[in-house]
Amino acid sequence: MTTVYQQRTPLVPPVVRRSPAGPVLAFLWTGAAAVVALWWQDTGSVVGTAGWLLGAGRIAGLLCGYSCAVLVALMARVPLLERRIGSDRVTRWHAMAGRYTVCLLVAHVVLVLLGYAAQDRASIVHETVTVVLHYPEMLKATLGTLVLCAVGITSVRAVRRRVGHEFWYYVHLLTYGAVFLAFGHQLALGGQFVGNAPARAAWYALYLSAAALVGWFRVLTPVRLNLRHRLRVAAVHREAPGVWSVVIRGRRLDDLGARPGQFFRWRFLAQGLRWTSTPYSLSAPPRRTELRITVKALGDHSASVALLRPGTRVWAEGPYGSLTAERSSTGRTLLIAGGVGVTPLRALFETLPGEVTLLYRARSVQDLALGAELEAIGRWRGAQVLYALNGEDGARPRLTPGALLAAVPGLADHDVYLCGPPGFAGDMYEALCAAGVPDRRIHHESFEL
Amino acid sequence: MHTLRRRSPLRRIVLASAATVTGTVLLLSMKPHTTPHIVTAAPAPSASASVPAGSGGSGADRSGGSAATGTKTVTGDSAPTRYGPVQVRITVRKGKLTDVTAVTYPQENPRDQEINGYAVPQLRREALAAQSADIDVVSGATYTSQGYQQSLQSALDSMGG
Repeated sequence: MTTVYQQRTPLVPPVVRRSPAGPVLAFLWTGAAAVVALWWQDTGSVVGTAGWLLGAGRIAGLLCGYSCAVLVALMARVPLLERRIGSDRVTRWHAMAGRYTVCLLVAHVVLVLLGYAAQDRASIVHETVTVVLHYPEMLKATLGTLVLCAVGITSVRAVRRRVGHEFWYYVHLLTYGAVFLAFGHQLALGGQFVGNAPARAAWYALYLSAAALVGWFRVLTPVRLNLRHRLRVAAVHREAPGVWSVVIRGRRLDDLGARPGQFFRWRFLAQGLRWTSTPYSLSAPPRRTELRITVKALGDHSASVALLRPGTRVWAEGPYGSLTAERSSTGRTLLIAGGVGVTPLRALFETLPGEVTLLYRARSVQDLALGAELEAIGRWRGAQVLYALNGEDGARPRLTPGALLAAVPGLADHDVYLCGPPGFAGDMYEALCAAGVPDRRIHHESFEL
Repeated sequence: MHTLRRRSPLRRIVLASAATVTGTVLLLSMKPHTTPHIVTAAPAPSASASVPAGSGGSGADRSGGSAATGTKTVTGDSAPTRYGPVQVRITVRKGKLTDVTAVTYPQENPRDQEINGYAVPQLRREALAAQSADIDVVSGATYTSQGYQQSLQSALDSMGG
């Protein structure tokens, strides 16, 4: 058994690659600066209340138009962003920029209407009616604005929890339509674009590139992947109470280029599941014919995964995620799993080169999913598996900086991969910082926004 | 900044809003705040300006009027602007500018109509008061004002004034 493992997984240290997050952010900010520069070179003077209001309204509008294109591009599942920077981080950028964009949008509408009203010495109501009904492209733009505001409202954390994932998701999909509707008025009415052919061309290029990225990576790439690999459920088995593994078979799966620690977005074409796509990490290193995920029954969706029948077709998008061996820089690694967060770490535990220790936090022995496998891997590679279980009286184990340092000698020189529920991950992060592990060596991925 | 670092979202919101507002106000404040006075180089007398002032009858192709009343009308050059051409016709009686009519001005989209709806009458008042093309820009209608001034100047020049 041991020899089979050793032949199959040569533990070659991967090339450590720096995350391109810095350059990508610099590129996006440069674009924003260029948009402001466009306003600057076009504007002669700012006179009176109307001048100030309209100036501010135009800057807000231009930046809003720019960030709409950026928001769409960030979510286009571009491999550079998803695999090198990390889906979670890009999603967080998207969420932050999205909130900011909605604020810019409201500011643009209010400031421009107030500015027009001041300029024409008309009432704000009259001005609003005139602008919406009589200005070119403005009916469409108004509709787009309303949709974007609805997207913003349904994404507010408190509202989002109430409306449910599907509703939120399908409202979010309307963003594409809203951005398209609002595009016309930018060129028809935007003073910066009238008679400025290079600016118009640049604006078209911005929006067409965003559309091209979505078309290529969100539509064509998944279609190609699924036509090519033809994934189906091969088996479902129980790992622990409420935790199920799903084995998925397909053709030439090594061509997917999936690496341990990554995830796919899965859509099972079965009753009640086909309308939702959910990210689940690979819980074993991908093989030529087989992928495996391990799912905890937390909601309706994950609970019905247990009822999947072999042969069910699967639509997958991926691989995504940057929680891979590429992140490690020291050759000594500590993996910290909280509950079902063990799944990507299970794959990494088998394949990471160097010295590896796994710390597995669970409520009880019964709740340890994949426990036997972890033990086997630990024995095979001479790696230690540490458990942090609740005491008999239900008391939580104390994972203090001191306890961590005692359990893992030389902790400060380790790379730490962290995966678990948000509260747990946050606590562990603080403990690790206190134990002297630098920020850049604490690797974590989470889909909480 | 690590994604797990616990931060108050309020701080970020306050920072982002403050930075945006400050940046915008700063940008706006760095622009000039006075209504620009239109300064254009005095155009060289054009060939069409050869019609002598006060000549009777409709001598030039673009001037008309009657010597009997001493009233004369001249149409200025069409001045191209970013939003479209502007062209004015002036009426002069006994050497006094008595009327300016905008023959052409941007009316293609509703915003142009709205702006020029008040800008054109104001430019006319200014021109009549100044008795020349020495007029101020109407705020919000920079391009129309510039075109108006140019066309008016050319009309006055061809009048031989």
